[in-house]
Amino acid sequence: MPSWSELEQFLVSGLALGGVYALSGVGLVVLYRATGVLFLAFGAVGAMGAFLTYEMIQASAPGWAAWIVCILFGGVVTLIYGMIFGPALAGRDRLVRAVATLGLTLILLGAMELLWPPTSGAVRAISLPTDNSGFTVVGLQVSWTQVIALGAGVVLTVGTGVFLRYTKLGTAMRAMANDREITATLGVPIRQVEAAAWFGCGILAGFSGLLLADLVQLEPATLTFLVISSLAAALIARLRSITVTFFAAIVIGVVHDMLTPFNALTNYRDLTPFVLAVIALLAVSRHQTIMTRSSEES
Amino acid sequence: MAGTDTKSSAAATVAGQRLALLRRPERPVHLSVTVALVLFALFALPELMSAYYTGYMTLVAIYSIVTLGLGLLVGRVGLYSLGQGAVLQIGAWTAARLLFATGQPFPIVIIEAGLVTMLIGTVIGLPAIRLRGLYLALITLMMAGAITVILATVNFPNGGGGFTGYDGQQSHIPPIRRPSIAGTDSAYYRYAVVVAILMFILVYAHLRTRPGRAWAAIRQSEPAALAAGINTTYYKLWAWALASFITGIAGGILAGDAHYLYSINFSTQDSIILLAVALMGGVYNLWGAVIAALLMQLLPAVLQNLGVNYAWLTILFGIGVLQVLTTAPTGLADQFPKDMKKLGGLIWRLVRRPQPGASASASASGGAGGGST
Amino acid sequence: MNESEHRRSRLAGVAVAAIAIGVLAGCSSSSSNSSSSSPTNQAASSPAASSPAASSPAASSPAATGVQTSSCGTKPGVAATGTPINLGSIVTDQTGTSFADIANMAGAYFDCVNANGGINGHPIKYFIQKEQTNPTQIASLAKQLVQSDHVVGIIGNTSIIECSVDHAYWEGQGFYIIDSGIAPECYSTSHSAAVNMGPRYSSDGAVQYALTQHPSKIVFDQANVPGTTYIAAGPNAIAAAAKTPIQDFADTPPIADANSVAIKLVDAAGSNGAVVLNFTPPDALAILAAAQKLNLEDKVKLWACSTPCNTDFLAKTLGPKWNNKIFVNAELTPPDGTNTPTMNLYKAILAQYGKSVTGGIGSFSQMGFTEAELMVKALESVTGDYTVASVNAAIKALKDVNTGMLCQQWTYGSYSSHLPNNMDYTTTANNGQMTLAPNGGGCTLISDNDPQVKAYRAEAGTAPTDPTSTGG
Repeated sequence: MPSWSELEQFLVSGLALGGVYALSGVGLVVLYRATGVLFLAFGAVGAMGAFLTYEMIQASAPGWAAWIVCILFGGVVTLIYGMIFGPALAGRDRLVRAVATLGLTLILLGAMELLWPPTSGAVRAISLPTDNSGFTVVGLQVSWTQVIALGAGVVLTVGTGVFLRYTKLGTAMRAMANDREITATLGVPIRQVEAAAWFGCGILAGFSGLLLADLVQLEPATLTFLVISSLAAALIARLRSITVTFFAAIVIGVVHDMLTPFNALTNYRDLTPFVLAVIALLAVSRHQTIMTRSSEES
Repeated sequence: MAGTDTKSSAAATVAGQRLALLRRPERPVHLSVTVALVLFALFALPELMSAYYTGYMTLVAIYSIVTLGLGLLVGRVGLYSLGQGAVLQIGAWTAARLLFATGQPFPIVIIEAGLVTMLIGTVIGLPAIRLRGLYLALITLMMAGAITVILATVNFPNGGGGFTGYDGQQSHIPPIRRPSIAGTDSAYYRYAVVVAILMFILVYAHLRTRPGRAWAAIRQSEPAALAAGINTTYYKLWAWALASFITGIAGGILAGDAHYLYSINFSTQDSIILLAVALMGGVYNLWGAVIAALLMQLLPAVLQNLGVNYAWLTILFGIGVLQVLTTAPTGLADQFPKDMKKLGGLIWRLVRRPQPGASASASASGGAGGGST
Repeated sequence: MNESEHRRSRLAGVAVAAIAIGVLAGCSSSSSNSSSSSPTNQAASSPAASSPAASSPAASSPAATGVQTSSCGTKPGVAATGTPINLGSIVTDQTGTSFADIANMAGAYFDCVNANGGINGHPIKYFIQKEQTNPTQIASLAKQLVQSDHVVGIIGNTSIIECSVDHAYWEGQGFYIIDSGIAPECYSTSHSAAVNMGPRYSSDGAVQYALTQHPSKIVFDQANVPGTTYIAAGPNAIAAAAKTPIQDFADTPPIADANSVAIKLVDAAGSNGAVVLNFTPPDALAILAAAQKLNLEDKVKLWACSTPCNTDFLAKTLGPKWNNKIFVNAELTPPDGTNTPTMNLYKAILAQYGKSVTGGIGSFSQMGFTEAELMVKALESVTGDYTVASVNAAIKALKDVNTGMLCQQWTYGSYSSHLPNNMDYTTTANNGQMTLAPNGGGCTLISDNDPQVKAYRAEAGTAPTDPTSTGG
């Protein structure tokens, strides 16, 4: 049985990990609530942006320019996807629209593997200036990058809730996610609102891609499928509540890391996001059949 | 049902297309083509193929069973499973374990692997069936992720003892055995094709009888099916069990084909690509499963020979998914005969001495091999 | 959706696809040029080229290079024009893991030979097959090489599982493989001999060095790929013989959460313990970098690593805090600071013919060079026709070859297992480069306490050291 001083180290690292999951998870739920599309290409978009940043830094561009490129790339690609395939799939159910984003995922994954083929020996990596400074907690160094990841998750959660409830654009987004046609008849410029939602989500994808590439590894498949762990957090919140997504992500990160010192379980700790998501979904479905709203059935 | 005319009419159009597709009977011409192709695959192809392609075509046979199961779930019942790759792993694991641990004949082991996979699939499916649409797809993704992690830790059997059958100490890993009648690559290819044909017949039999009709009704509209007195949960579970069974069998054949199984050989990407090629091949048509398997397993081999990077294929599959979902929900299996028919009609008209005006209108309509009937 | 909307969205989809493909085609051609000569690779290779011992700029000038590379062949400047000798190789090349550099460097060596007389006037035609750890694919590729490409020798194989999948086939066909081994069968079977040591024996070397610093405990962590127990058995035996407790871990690659791994290892080792890693470069770097970011690198006595860590890139990325803190087992003579004719030839061939070698100077390209060297030597000893039988008999007959890249002379021989390279160096980080460790970093025999090593030496004896590869 590991000692508490060991466990508290994993608590700290788990919080940092949870912050990483929270950022992606909240981004997923935000776009889902605004457009009704579960953007599974979230990880791939961010990963490709991170690779572009890497290329720019290799070409001796200034760091801040490279980061902006990453974030903008995320926004632009997501916007283009949303503007073409949003209307094209508008009448279809949410499942089909989510599967379509898998198409974008594969395209981006293939593009990354083509443009940045695996190298033998030399490893690609991104580092941010906030990596090397921080503060010490229970004998561990916590970098500012990790703090930013966690903090961004908090800001996002609180900020988006406020945005969706109290601003005009946010209200329009919520109305649109509920029913696109009625919102259109009310005179809301749905194309613009949709564009804003897609672009905003894309910016988030780029930003979290940059942080993830720094905190995890700059590798196409790893970064692309990291979104599945964030998706688990979003599923625990049944894709509805941003606050629950945030806390679910934190719990996933903490539980995952705190299992590390238990030798019998340590190799199974990667199961954490999946097991928690499945339990949560099944627990809720015991009492009701979880249905997407009937208007979305085709 | 909330929604203005546009939305429900869009939904109705899509539903109408599906209904028309599912009701269409298999034409007799189709059957003779099928028989000819099967005979060709069984008898002519092995002589023509090099050893390189024999291995890949065996994989095509194996994965056509997997895509058959996925097509059944997606096209006939409307259950999008993102976890068929994990089901395949379970089947392969079980078959490998039994082949090492017992001396049972190969066909028996394969059937046992199918049954075990069916059992596991049903147990997992039972609580999950209550979820609908997107949530079901996502929970299958989560379960697949979990199974992949477990198998990566436990490893595939390699002749060792104990429950897992994995001995990390091995310096000479024994190969997984094949049936005595099908030891060589060519013979095993034929074996795999025969098993695939049997699985197709099994599914076809289901489709033509009561379960098939129930599935069609559920796919059309679940509330209506419930109202008509169909036990939707029972039939959905049946589809789930059937798909798990045949995928488990495919896993068993894969174990014998590969001789050595490694968890690194199965990735999350594979489950997604399975869905992509199944959609591209066409989920409303049994031939779609074969086309999907050709796309997934044969095309990479051809490209490798040509020196083309595999990543191009990943991009192609991504584009294919988008294309299928937005414009051609029936996939290649349906598109190709239609386009061929139109092309045939065009050539026929040209041959029959047309006026310039007629040929212009023929070519204008020939380009639109669209999804709407 | 009505017909015109249908058509419009389909057109849009096709347009997007076409544009995407056009952009990618344009980008990939320009980007692949840049990635093959990317700054990171040059950063890895330039310190080596400008290291104090090999400081002559003539080594990199074209005229001097031309003269130097021609020593790879028997007739300088004469292109080979006879019937080709077909050789083949199977390497893993997939996202996250690529060993293509090894085969590419062997191909570069063969290009040099072909430009300088060939093998008795015959050029070598080298077929490199790439696989993605798919057993069926790997078996098919072996048959492709033999039946369609008609190869007479196999050299340069480097794959996570190829030795396991194909060794029975090679034995049946009579091929004696020269490879860089990873799977156990690359060492434990009769028809495969490697120029490297592979994960088990390289980890042995790392643990052996760590033990010279008398740690109170050894923590051994490796990638959770098949064969972990087999790999760990070597270090466990060596630690047991030194009466030092050892604890084994395995983490599934790719490592997504390096922080928890680093904390776990440091906690397990304690302040007087040693952490020994066996991972591919990206994962090893992730763990070590995480340890540094968490300020844990000084919380253990020392860190050690098997051969994959032996890159200047790692030293540069980790920085000077790790000088004399991390000790890496090096299976081949360190290129930095070695000024032997063979090492200079290697660097020259890499510069002139090695455009496809993305990693530059490093152990992968060194392995490819060494394997090609051995193959050429075998081929040059063949009299008469170049057939499977004659070529492989020549390969098996290789004995006490001075490769200039290894501590020992290299022998194939008729043994039930092969471990011709069982003597290693240890390097340490030194301000952005990997150089020989100051205490005991020179050629050291891998300990007999590993039963497999003992079994091999019982059959093959202990090879003499190679006088042409002075590196320490």
